[in-house]
Amino acid sequence: MATYERREGGTITEEVVWTPEELDISTKPNGPAVAAMWAAGIGSLVLAILVVWAEASEGFAQDLAFQNRVGPLSGKTTIAGLAFVVSWAVLAPVFWRRNVTWSVALAVTAVLVAAGAIGTFPKFFELFAAD
Amino acid sequence: MELTNRETWTALHGMIFGAAFLLAFAGGLAGLWSLTPAWVTRAGLRERMLRLKVGVTSMALIAWVTVVSGTYIVYPWYREQSPDSPRSILLADPDTAQWHRFGMEWKEHVAWISPMLATVVAFIVVYYGNQLIVDKRLRWTALALFVLAFVGAAVPGLLGAFITKAAPLQ
Repeated sequence: MATYERREGGTITEEVVWTPEELDISTKPNGPAVAAMWAAGIGSLVLAILVVWAEASEGFAQDLAFQNRVGPLSGKTTIAGLAFVVSWAVLAPVFWRRNVTWSVALAVTAVLVAAGAIGTFPKFFELFAAD
Repeated sequence: MELTNRETWTALHGMIFGAAFLLAFAGGLAGLWSLTPAWVTRAGLRERMLRLKVGVTSMALIAWVTVVSGTYIVYPWYREQSPDSPRSILLADPDTAQWHRFGMEWKEHVAWISPMLATVVAFIVVYYGNQLIVDKRLRWTALALFVLAFVGAAVPGLLGAFITKAAPLQ
């Protein structure tokens, strides 16, 4: 454990820094975390695509009604959930021992999750509504 | 004073699971935030990490239970074709129609992003454990995803409360 002084505004703060060895940590690559993050992003994107597609096509929306009581939402959520699990199962072994550049990992995750959020926003998917 | 079966499930979905989700989020956020080397001793590390793992895993599980119960138990009652279903009541009045067309349409979809993000955070905390203390970027990534998962659940939760107030499920 090392301490060093850090200037914060007008005061000097003493900061403690642990080394991985002191905490018995074997540093793992970030690949497994990135695989999980991208899988969640893919699940979000698939959900958004299905929402927009179902809005544009009444026939497709009916096909997504896996359960009549729930309607098209049952298909959208089931497929998005499966996309999350399957893409995680595929990506995890690929990235398990790898390190991915953090900026790339974060940018891809941000784009996928943002696409998911935008695609599920009513003012956006209504733009594609069937006449 | 009695709750119908539908009111009980609505309360479970929106209030019981919702309150548990909030509690788990507050605990997990405090745990992740304070996981800085300056505030952690070796002795306190084991106890804190166990609490954090339980907290974030609980949050992920609660998020899944909330969206599944909402979509597959409560939502079918909401969207029934009968004229006294909440959906029919909201759409019948132009002043309340937007609660369905915007509020419910957004809530029923965006809520499903939250459990996926919460699961990723739970995986990062459980798999990397103590590495979060020395790996700042990993910890800040987990924190950002954790907050996003919360926002992804808070927006539908708030909309759900307003929709229930406008047209309660009975």
